[in-house]
Amino acid sequence: MGNTKHSVEQDEIDVREFAALVLDVGTVLMESGAHCDRIDRNVRRLAERAGFAMEIFFSFTAISLTVTDKRHPDRSVTAVRSVSHHGAHFGIVTRVSLLTWSYYEGEISFAELACEMRGIRQTPRHNPWLVRLAVGLACGCLCLLAGGDLTDGGFALAASTAGLWLRQTLVRIRYNLMVAILCSSFLTTVISGLDALLGLGANPGTAVATAVLFLIPGVPLINCIIDLVKGYYPTAVARGVFGSFVLLCIAVGMFVSMSLIGINYF
Amino acid sequence: MLAEVVRDASLSFFVASGFALLFETPRRAIPVAGLLGGMGHAVRFLLLQAGFGLVGATLCGAVLIGLAGIFFAHRIHTPPVVFTLPACITMIPGLYAYRTMIAGIRIYSAGPGQDTSGLIQDMAYNFILTSSLLFCLAIGICIAALLFRARSVKDLKKYTRKTY
Repeated sequence: MGNTKHSVEQDEIDVREFAALVLDVGTVLMESGAHCDRIDRNVRRLAERAGFAMEIFFSFTAISLTVTDKRHPDRSVTAVRSVSHHGAHFGIVTRVSLLTWSYYEGEISFAELACEMRGIRQTPRHNPWLVRLAVGLACGCLCLLAGGDLTDGGFALAASTAGLWLRQTLVRIRYNLMVAILCSSFLTTVISGLDALLGLGANPGTAVATAVLFLIPGVPLINCIIDLVKGYYPTAVARGVFGSFVLLCIAVGMFVSMSLIGINYF
Repeated sequence: MLAEVVRDASLSFFVASGFALLFETPRRAIPVAGLLGGMGHAVRFLLLQAGFGLVGATLCGAVLIGLAGIFFAHRIHTPPVVFTLPACITMIPGLYAYRTMIAGIRIYSAGPGQDTSGLIQDMAYNFILTSSLLFCLAIGICIAALLFRARSVKDLKKYTRKTY
């Protein structure tokens, strides 16, 4: 093995280890709500720095790639790893982006990068109750923007805070995501529907319509269009279907609860 | 008028920061998300008042968020999507998506053999509106790549002041 000046490091990287790390980066980004072009840019940086040729295929449920050592074309690895879920954690997206840049610019070694990637899934989250209240506040503000008064906004706040708590609890105890969204949308509409049932606010329809907005799959839907624009059609279609199915679950949950408490804001 | 714009911007500030928290955006980027969300939504509000269509006004708001995002990405050392996406969520067409689904449910509840042409029209209209608005938001978020032929906003550093 020749030790030229700028490729000392690449001789130490095993092609298998490199493929495993790239799959780590790719799947963790996919699970955290990054679009495919962003994932591609992140892993290209690694390949460029380490001196590997790479072909990568993104689908919604798995990522597969072939890595070849540019200087020893017989050393080649093809691997697949599945993507376990699709959430949103932009803290991880930020950290991975910074890590891949610092590896690309030579600030950290491959071993350090691999070590950082092992702990990436434990990136701390915001305080859960702070998030729930902030999301409640966001839905309350959306209600005010839609033309509700302060009473309507208060109902939207309470309804979406409770709904988000229910969704997170159901997901944590490993219920199916769609069941969690259906139940959460049901509970949210029952609470915001009380506003309409008791006739408290000036414009209770706005509370019912805006309280469920925290469930809207904004990340998959926007990523769907970004993937379309950038040409990643398989993931774009899958993200669109996933987002639409979530929307359908929200609509069914609302429909059931409105039929139950007997209000009609369609 | 000014009071209405300020109210619109400050309410959207809380909407964007709330969704930024939900998406686990790093703490340093949350105020930026709120700021951009408030700005984008207020621009859309102003354009709607000036007689623009909903889709055109949303496109302008989203593109403005995307362009401002390039600038802030370098200042706070964060990929732009992390705060431009929550900012764009303030304009997400949740209401129209919901109306599309509800029209579908009503076609079902009308029963077979009923005249549901109005509902089908409703459903198609709301579906088209929802997808157009989503397109506008996504174009706003990747405006840097579309406009400047750049792969990453890091390549655009020469256009903004280097401050980190």
